Amino acid sequence: MEAVLRIWNGKPFLWTLLAVPGFLYLYRFWTGTIPMDLVPPPGEMSARLIIFALMLTPLSMLFRGQRWIAWLIRRRRAFGVTGFAYALLHLLFYALDMETLDNILAEIGAPGIWTGWGALLLFLPLALTSNDASMRALKKGWKRLQRLAYPAAVLMILHWVLIHDGMAEALLHAAPLAALEFYRLIHLARDRSWRGHRSQPI
Amino acid sequence: MKYLIPAALAAVAALGLAAPASATGKMTCSVPQKSWKSQDALRAALTKQGWKVTKSKVDGGCYEVYGTDPQGNKVEAYFNPATFEKLLVSRRGKILYKAPAGHKH
Repeated sequence: MEAVLRIWNGKPFLWTLLAVPGFLYLYRFWTGTIPMDLVPPPGEMSARLIIFALMLTPLSMLFRGQRWIAWLIRRRRAFGVTGFAYALLHLLFYALDMETLDNILAEIGAPGIWTGWGALLLFLPLALTSNDASMRALKKGWKRLQRLAYPAAVLMILHWVLIHDGMAEALLHAAPLAALEFYRLIHLARDRSWRGHRSQPI
Repeated sequence: MKYLIPAALAAVAALGLAAPASATGKMTCSVPQKSWKSQDALRAALTKQGWKVTKSKVDGGCYEVYGTDPQGNKVEAYFNPATFEKLLVSRRGKILYKAPAGHKH
């Protein structure tokens, strides 16, 4: 039992678990599902993981000191990076479905399309620097860079809202993050004004 | 509690594998079903006209086709399921063709 828990709690297990849907999508492709039908699933999985990763900071403010949130925050990289990997898989199936570069370029100006490209491009440097070496090299700049995740997430959600009949699902997925960010803003504003009323440091 | 989290994640992942389908409201047709011709017949007719059909389905009582039109555009198109009249052709929301208003479909 002890050993099972150790594996369950180990980081490799989480990465593997998060990768499982990806292997299922590839299996479906292998067994004849057309690329067109495989474009949405990894895109949605990507959004879910990225939204989840972004929810962790405001959640930790809401559930300060709880062990489970600390457990999740230690694993945030797994959610963010696998989220980006699903975006790449989404792009791969999209490219296979579109067949030619001309087809891709022909629709790149559509609001539902360029927002997706924009999100992907903004997330790219974040994924590339999601490792300890980059954190050490970039020092304080790392955190500033990673804040690009917020505009990127907005573009990602817009992409989902605008593309192919996805509005209801997109908004449903974005709602918890939006609510938490709203809480975070109120929390920060209250914290600041509360501090402002005190002349003595605590 | 902390052991429940990976389990919850797995449940979310499983949800992600199910894809819902519903009418989109982009085009509606009110043609009695008994007068419909088959989707295979539509595919065959379109292929003859130079289309490449990737996928077809029913949406809002019309036949909806995804594929490449004879001009080489990757599009989504709607057809009357009985007459195969072309009703709407669009590319990512941009309308490339719309049947003249007043047509009954």
